Amino acid sequence: MGKKLALVAVLALSNTVFAQGFTPTRPVEAVVHTGPGGGSDLLARAVALMIEKEKLLPVRMQVVNKTGGGGAVAAAYLAEKKGETHTIGFFTGVWLTNPLTSQEAKVSLKDLTPVARLVLEPALIAVKADAPYKTLADFVSAAKQKPGELKQSGGSITSRDNVVRQQLQKAGGARWQYISFPGGGERIAALLGGHVNMMVIEPAEAGEHIRAGNMRVLAQVTESRLSAFPNVPTLKEAGFNVTPVPQVRGIVAPPGIPRENVAYWEGVFKRLTQTESWKKFLADNQFEDGYQNAAELTKFYDEFTGQMRGILQEAGIKTVR
Amino acid sequence: MGGFAVALQPFNLLWCLVGVALGTVVGILPGLGPPATIAMLLPLTFLMPPASAMIMLAGIYYGAKYGGSTTSILLNVPGESASVATCFDGYQMARKGRAGPALGIAAIASFIAGTVGVLGLMLVAPPLARMALAFSSPEYFALMSLGLAMVVLLAGRSMVKALLAMLVGLWLAGIGTDLFSQTSRFTFGRMELLSGIDFVVVAIGVFAIGEVLANMQGREAAKALPFPKGVRNLLPTVQDLKDSRFAFANGSIVGFLIGVLPGAGSTIASFISYGLEKAVSRRPEEFGKGVVEGVAAPEGANNAETGGALIPMLTLGIPGSSTTAVLLAALVLWGFKPGPLFIPENPALFWGLVASMYIGNLMLLVLNLPLVPVFAQVLRTPVYILYPIILGIALVGVYSTSGGLFDLWLLVGFGLMGYLMRKLDYPSAPLILGVVLGGAMERALRQSLMMSDGSISILVSRPVSAVMLSLAVLILLIPLFNKVNTWRLRALEK
Repeated sequence: MGKKLALVAVLALSNTVFAQGFTPTRPVEAVVHTGPGGGSDLLARAVALMIEKEKLLPVRMQVVNKTGGGGAVAAAYLAEKKGETHTIGFFTGVWLTNPLTSQEAKVSLKDLTPVARLVLEPALIAVKADAPYKTLADFVSAAKQKPGELKQSGGSITSRDNVVRQQLQKAGGARWQYISFPGGGERIAALLGGHVNMMVIEPAEAGEHIRAGNMRVLAQVTESRLSAFPNVPTLKEAGFNVTPVPQVRGIVAPPGIPRENVAYWEGVFKRLTQTESWKKFLADNQFEDGYQNAAELTKFYDEFTGQMRGILQEAGIKTVR
Repeated sequence: MGGFAVALQPFNLLWCLVGVALGTVVGILPGLGPPATIAMLLPLTFLMPPASAMIMLAGIYYGAKYGGSTTSILLNVPGESASVATCFDGYQMARKGRAGPALGIAAIASFIAGTVGVLGLMLVAPPLARMALAFSSPEYFALMSLGLAMVVLLAGRSMVKALLAMLVGLWLAGIGTDLFSQTSRFTFGRMELLSGIDFVVVAIGVFAIGEVLANMQGREAAKALPFPKGVRNLLPTVQDLKDSRFAFANGSIVGFLIGVLPGAGSTIASFISYGLEKAVSRRPEEFGKGVVEGVAAPEGANNAETGGALIPMLTLGIPGSSTTAVLLAALVLWGFKPGPLFIPENPALFWGLVASMYIGNLMLLVLNLPLVPVFAQVLRTPVYILYPIILGIALVGVYSTSGGLFDLWLLVGFGLMGYLMRKLDYPSAPLILGVVLGGAMERALRQSLMMSDGSISILVSRPVSAVMLSLAVLILLIPLFNKVNTWRLRALEK
């Protein structure tokens, strides 16, 4: 009860802050780095719908696609909008890793104003249902016996898929091939067609294949078990001392915006994450609530960048920053 | 039959009509494509029953394929990437005063192949989806090689010039961040180039802008393009239909089969279908100068592809293109779980969609044929008005896809390149072919070699891949064979 009261008080307080400070007067531009149908684009459109339904903004939120450079173009666009109060951006971890490996990607998340972290995307390690591996240890020891013969399908080599591989190879003393496919559909097709042996997959993508009996899950790339997979061990429980690198999504604003503007955005997204629509959205997509406020997010940047830089360097990938 | 009970409800018929009409418009406008349109309409679909929403969104998807040919034929501006191959002969037909028949045959080919695609979706979806899974990187490499071999068929007078243009295309496809090593290639320090050059920018620049620049230099600047007189000349003749018989079948089958593969797409389907048409044609020398089957084949292929592409999406939950990815996301937002159990658990939705696609294709034919004379009127516009309009459409189209000025400069650059290529008599089709296939081909080769741990034998030890590679070699030998034949004839004459 006390907790609830405190919450109400905080909300009331933040509401008065809005009243005195900033309120948007024209449509808000929400910048995403993927084209229509990409992960960030779909999240932004879903958020726009929820914000409208829950009446969290007095104006419309308009999704703007600034594609190119694996996020670099969108980040640079936000950096150019210095001081602009009606623009926000939907970032992913790529906005932090990309500048590590590409000289051309000059703008990092650290050059923008942090607002909130919203989502953590958990992952599963899956094999084809008729594969001989029943546990993650089975797979790793099979890879140990035949170095370089087993294969994993995944995204680019800086993606989470490869990060998990690097961590597992190190922890298990094994080595297997990593084959990059640009599209998620192609990665799944490669596994189901028996052309690769394992993949890191998002729960929502894997769910139906598991239910249809096409795939088996060996472990979940999470700190604690997901409610949808109560019987699947986490990496640590499966015997691999690996700290999962989180796959995150959140909100940033252009640099140099007024303090009350930051507070306003923080308030909007804080309230969004408390709505029923948001909770349903997370459950439908099997995302985890990854909410962090601006201050926590700034700290997260450094942890994440440090962890990624280490893993990339160990994997022999050239870092430029 | 239960499907028709769903699709024939007046409400659903209406949404089907809305979808296909909107799709036609989206197809006509270069730049704005089906994925963006569907994404923008998603909020609206929450107010509708899912079956109606799915019927409408799918209507946009295949309706756009009909519309895409219009600007390709009339203005040499491809409305969608899948309509680039339609420019080759479609625009040449328009220049000869046969814009009407070209537009008409595009609509008819689209209808036939679109219907064949739906038939395939209805009859063989689950087994074909399983077969598509057997297709992996080595097979994709072989398919792309087959496509690239078509260059010898797209060459003009000089094979050397065609090969050079193709190499430039392959190089352009290599620009950007390498997927496998995360290194930047030929980005010249520009972050805009990190994810490569959009193929649409190259196609619109080289075709549309290059064409306008080359024609502006001519002295007939004030003259309008020839315009056919009388309604009879506005529609395809019986001879046209006869000439396109094989193209209808070729486009339908090639488009559908390539559509089923998650890693190929309608652009590749239309190119391969065009090449195949030329390879078996009795008048290959006329291709590129305005033959009707050169329009029918790629237009058929890109429509049949729709039925094929829906197969992995609906039976496995695997999207093969950005449009199917958005449709898949829409299903999730409506509370469905796309995957292997989607059709068995939602039969009414699936069969309703299939039935609506038969009806939608018919609607599109009825909608598009009467529009042919209307669109053909565009060519009555004097070129001093028409060309600025083409330039405007090209610029707006490119800006709307990327939202950046950098791509506009690229567009201008490719326009100049297209102009120079015309002046120096370099064919532009091989360049485009290189850009379309280069990226996917390189990826497939490197994936194959990673799978086999560096052994190139993986490409020939798998039967499907071996067959397609042999076909590619055969196609490469066609010009040589022709040459030998001419020598032989000449020797005989002597």
